Amino acid sequence: MSSDATCSSEYCNQGWAEVLTHMSPYGYANFGVAFGLGLSIVGAAWGIWLTGSSLVGAAVKAPRIRSKNLISVIFCEATAIYGVIMAIILTNKIKEPESAGYFLEEGWDYNGYYYAGYGMFSAGLSVGLTNIASGVSVGIAGSSCAIADAQDASLFVKILIVEIFASALGIFGIIVGIIQSNACTFPTFALQ
Amino acid sequence: MTTPKPKEGTGDIATFNIQHGFAEALVRGMRSSFLQDQDYHHLTQCETLDDVRLNLTETDYADSIADFNSLNPTMLQKAAVDKLVTEFKYLRTQTVEPLSTFLDFITYEYMIENVMLLLKGALSGRDINELLEQCHPLGMFKESTMRSIPTFENSAKGYSDLYQTVLVDTPVGPYFSKFLQESAMHRGAHSRNVLEEVEIEIIKSSLIKYWIEDFYMFVESLGGDTATIMGDILKTRADTNAVNITLNSFGTPLNEPAMRSSDRKRLYPAVGYLYPAGTSMLADVSDEDELGRVLELFPSYSAIWSIHASGTGDKSIDDVFYERDVQALELAFESQFHFGCFYAYVKLKEQEIRNLVWITECILQQQKDEIEKFVQVFSNTAPWRGKTR
Repeated sequence: MSSDATCSSEYCNQGWAEVLTHMSPYGYANFGVAFGLGLSIVGAAWGIWLTGSSLVGAAVKAPRIRSKNLISVIFCEATAIYGVIMAIILTNKIKEPESAGYFLEEGWDYNGYYYAGYGMFSAGLSVGLTNIASGVSVGIAGSSCAIADAQDASLFVKILIVEIFASALGIFGIIVGIIQSNACTFPTFALQ
Repeated sequence: MTTPKPKEGTGDIATFNIQHGFAEALVRGMRSSFLQDQDYHHLTQCETLDDVRLNLTETDYADSIADFNSLNPTMLQKAAVDKLVTEFKYLRTQTVEPLSTFLDFITYEYMIENVMLLLKGALSGRDINELLEQCHPLGMFKESTMRSIPTFENSAKGYSDLYQTVLVDTPVGPYFSKFLQESAMHRGAHSRNVLEEVEIEIIKSSLIKYWIEDFYMFVESLGGDTATIMGDILKTRADTNAVNITLNSFGTPLNEPAMRSSDRKRLYPAVGYLYPAGTSMLADVSDEDELGRVLELFPSYSAIWSIHASGTGDKSIDDVFYERDVQALELAFESQFHFGCFYAYVKLKEQEIRNLVWITECILQQQKDEIEKFVQVFSNTAPWRGKTR
């Protein structure tokens, strides 16, 4: 079935482009928060089980590593915290319009309105995707760190530096995300 | 061939740990239980077996030998093998598919060896209890199954009975059935009787060949790093078998021109670096010189062969193969997120047990000049690490 056969009425959506352009900026902004927080936590959780399963396994024969290597888990947890910080910043920027009417007022700042919506959506996505990458990366390094530390304690600090660099990837994401969302302010009343 | 393909792969670098992270970390933790350079140094300095026992109490073997008042090589070997088996079974209980099937594959080799040991022992009329003592604990079936194996007669009929009543329920059954099928086809064409003792060796080589091929197909279907690393280990294993079968066939009926291409060629595994060009050349080899000429074409084997051919007597070809194996198996521990280290752990522990037995035997027999002739595992001074002793 071709698409024009299913929908010839003008009230139908004309494809995905129309759906996306007609989404409310408030919707975009809130999705930005959801993706930013959700993907960050996926990254953190992924990293924690990568590290955690190796950590408990390696700790069977070398119990001394168990507290020291919790730092790898904390590094993964940091990715989740970046997501939470970003989510809080973004949520605070979403503001309800002052007028309670069904339509937006005359002279509404549509440019700023859409700019804010798209900007916060992208900011959330930037933070979320970088934090997935960072979380997995810290997790793999942390898993190797636990195993290496069990064999040779002098390797711990060296691999920890690798982990710090992997963790820094998430910071890049949050810095760019904050800059992206900085200029995004939802108009709350019409321009005079 | 016989083992069904795994339902899922091993997972890659980002997903391996979901299922196998704990087990892998366990086996890597166990890596620290290998004897160190200084342990070997102390052991080789010992004058009596009591000193060896004292030295071992400072290693990971302390618990295994804690109850011993005295020590002899057999007891030590038994204690060490038992320790390895306990560790292996512990690992096996911690694993899920497809790693558990992978670990089972490791035990099939010992099962084949046990079956062949029992058949061979029955042929020379040895006591079943004594034979059961000698069986490797990793390859044990049920007691009743083990006891019934030597009761079958040593003929084609006896083997097919053995398969149908006993081995069909065991994991090595499919290999045995494949052997019976192939030999039935073969017998129809030639109807030639092989000497009994050679027959046992042929059965064993065939079963091991099927096992290697099956194992190889399994790791290939797992894919990823497991396929690369285990594939390499199994290929070298297959090559070693092919060379050893050829070498051991000299002076036996297998080396007769008629048997070479029909029987001996069938024993070469259909995997490995020598397969297919090398093994087809090996099929025509009739003595050591010709074998050497074939192996010279393969750079990695020409070096091994030249050590054997120089005949200085310092190292046998087995020693060189062991050395090469240890080197390949140690490499399995150099990368993470694959199954190779489980196989490598078992095989390297076996090498360590061989070393311990060698050292204790040398001390027992006052052969101190020979005591350094073992292949150390994870040594910092191994030739391939490029450091000098």
